[in-house]
Amino acid sequence: MYTAAVRDLALDASRAGSAGPDAVAGEAGDAGCGDAVRIELAVASGRVVRARHRTFACPHATAAAALACSLAEGRDLLDAARIGAGELESALRPGPHNRECVALAADALHAALARAIETAQLEQSARRVVVAMSGGVDSAVALIKTLDAGLEPVGVTLRLWIDPNAPDTERACCSPQSVRAARSACHAAGVPHVTLDLRERFHEHVVGDYLRGHAAGLTPNPCVRCNGSFRFDALAAVADRVGAERLVTGHYARIVRLDGRPALARGLDPEKDQSYMLARVPEGILARVWFPLGEQRKTETRAQARAAGLEAAGRRESQEVCFVGGGDHREFVERHGGAGAAGKVVDESGTVLASHGGVHRFTPGQRRGLGVGGGEPLFVVRVDGGSGQVVAGPRRALARSTVTVVPGAMSTPVRRVEAKLRYRSRALPATVREIEGGLVLDLDEPAYGVAPGQAAVLYDGDVVVGSGVIAR
Amino acid sequence: MVYLDHAATSPLCDEARVAMEPYLTERFGNASEPHAPGRLAREGLERARAQVAELLGCEPRQVVFTSGGTEADNQAVFGLAGRPLGRLVVSAVEHSAVLEPARELERQGFDVAWAGVDSDGVLDVAAFEQAVASGDRLAAVMWANNVTGALQPVAELAAICAERGVPLHVDAVQAAASLPVDFRSGGAETIALSAHKMHGPKGVGALIARDPARLRPLIWGGGQESGLRSGTENVAGVVGFAAALAAVRGKSDRRRELRDRLERALPELTVVSDGADRLPGHSLLLVEGVRAELLVLSLDRAGYAVSAGSACASGDQEPSHVLLAQGMTPDHARSVIRVSIGITTTESEIDGFATELRDAIERLRAGALV
Repeated sequence: MYTAAVRDLALDASRAGSAGPDAVAGEAGDAGCGDAVRIELAVASGRVVRARHRTFACPHATAAAALACSLAEGRDLLDAARIGAGELESALRPGPHNRECVALAADALHAALARAIETAQLEQSARRVVVAMSGGVDSAVALIKTLDAGLEPVGVTLRLWIDPNAPDTERACCSPQSVRAARSACHAAGVPHVTLDLRERFHEHVVGDYLRGHAAGLTPNPCVRCNGSFRFDALAAVADRVGAERLVTGHYARIVRLDGRPALARGLDPEKDQSYMLARVPEGILARVWFPLGEQRKTETRAQARAAGLEAAGRRESQEVCFVGGGDHREFVERHGGAGAAGKVVDESGTVLASHGGVHRFTPGQRRGLGVGGGEPLFVVRVDGGSGQVVAGPRRALARSTVTVVPGAMSTPVRRVEAKLRYRSRALPATVREIEGGLVLDLDEPAYGVAPGQAAVLYDGDVVVGSGVIAR
Repeated sequence: MVYLDHAATSPLCDEARVAMEPYLTERFGNASEPHAPGRLAREGLERARAQVAELLGCEPRQVVFTSGGTEADNQAVFGLAGRPLGRLVVSAVEHSAVLEPARELERQGFDVAWAGVDSDGVLDVAAFEQAVASGDRLAAVMWANNVTGALQPVAELAAICAERGVPLHVDAVQAAASLPVDFRSGGAETIALSAHKMHGPKGVGALIARDPARLRPLIWGGGQESGLRSGTENVAGVVGFAAALAAVRGKSDRRRELRDRLERALPELTVVSDGADRLPGHSLLLVEGVRAELLVLSLDRAGYAVSAGSACASGDQEPSHVLLAQGMTPDHARSVIRVSIGITTTESEIDGFATELRDAIERLRAGALV
């Protein structure tokens, strides 16, 4: 039933309506019950001067929308970004059935705030930092560390596109549930939180590239691409808007200085090191980044999360490509029109061994799914996206002593490196030659299963000195 | 406060209160005892039974008093279904007191066929005729719907069941509150009634059964009500029930006049189940673009008590299954308010309500997201 607060706020007509022609709006809807909430904010000089709602929703959602408006009005944007479902709930006391209705209003408010921040220009503050919040334990601990360091964090979560038909969309970071978890982690610490809805741009820039790569018979690495040219750019853009100089994330990597220039380096936890995934982040952005977890192990992070009583302390984490949502990536590619040409599996002399359903199902070094039985074990040696041909051969045929990386470049000019050619593989000693638009790696010992499309990351000791995309 | 939610419950009428008073005070005896206080209680009980039987057109031995409509419905459905497993036919628009027992039988392994309704909420007779088969344990249909007020062609359906030898249970909880329900001419095997919907007390109702002995009891104990409903009889309640049943008889026309007056005053609103025969004092109004729960709160503040769709479904997230069954969209199903008129409702209350409703709709639409 309804508390007196719900009844009063739901019928409070003074908060209903439009906030004016220049107002920004955010909407949230529940596909399950058909309820929808729209919140409009009129903003001047970084401050919410008027907040109004229009709802087609139950009394709980309507009351929550009215309350969110009355709390937001008169506050600075970042202060308004401290308002969340928790605060609304404690005022309205919804039963378990109605918590979702209240959360709808918080989602609508934050959608409107994001729109306002996209066009705002807040005054620069030396201590203000943007912390990327995923809803998981690492970013939650990173946030605590910024507070411990006396900084003024602003949590930012990017809502990214996820396959709606995936088996496990809830666990993926960037899902609506993760956004809410990230927001509540910030609000529990009194920190403002901003949710940027980048689903469309992410789909085009990252998912589209992944699908096109698979269709062409490549083995794309969407995480390296996302960090290198999407995620950090988006964080930097919002940092500029909110007047924050520095960006903080919960990655296991470090920034070191080489001749006064910032360079990426491996995190101290060899199990968790994420420098490979971050290798394409541009130097201009690295100069603004702090990775507070780079100097510690994951076990320490978990202990710190428990000690701080963080809700995220025990949460499982996903190692998969986030937008695939826990399913099989081949089926994902097929569902979304990224299937490559079907064709034949042939041996190195061109003899046909079998037929296959599409080049996107294969990556060099793969043994399963060739449809060839008996005899010496066969591996995928090469995938030709144009002809649809998959060349299979014995393990020795996989050996590559020379790897071409295009595009690719050295950030620090050294000749001798250790080259990491897949995220979970050992780095191999190599000599680098620069060619036009890229690099050639002469490996001291052959690599097996080198996959065009994957990132090549080159280390000098712990420091990333070059990177690129494997061409052949 | 103007009360227009009589389909949810209704205030006790004077006739019932006066009839009950002695049984709440000096006539407190246990009707099973042979001493004077017991005999006084027994007399009251049996007089009430005879009165109910007379009003409903059945024999006194066919009247089994229960704790209310829900118990009567449960007793009928489980009692007729019996064992071993079999098949039953249930309308898609039943009250949860029939719906949930049917779902429970389904979970136990019974085969349940759900009979659909047309866009006015009236059972499709041809489809019902197809659905009911000889050997079915029972069919269940409500006389008048608690959400829309739509009446079912009970006599026609009972004839179909009789041809096939299938007992028909009819939930007459709403119907008996404002229509002269007659058991014999209705042709059902069992009907369920509740006192508080007809200006009687809460906590009492009746199951009228053609042959109570064929039903297996739900409640076991001292063997009261011919063994079908154990438990010391609620004599005061039963007496109030009989008095209320008598009091509401002959008061249909007035309620119909008031209902029509209301609907005429609000021509801009859609009346749900308008094409069906409906309960006389019952109107379900569709108010597009406004969530009914909000409208109910707004009217409450203005001093008018009405219901959003169905009292049992409000508070959870699901729109009424009754309205969905008759093809209404979920959005529309959540934008209906139910106005139900009682025997004391006045013209000026109806006129005041129509004005206030129009104002409230205007206020809420101003802030609504359309």
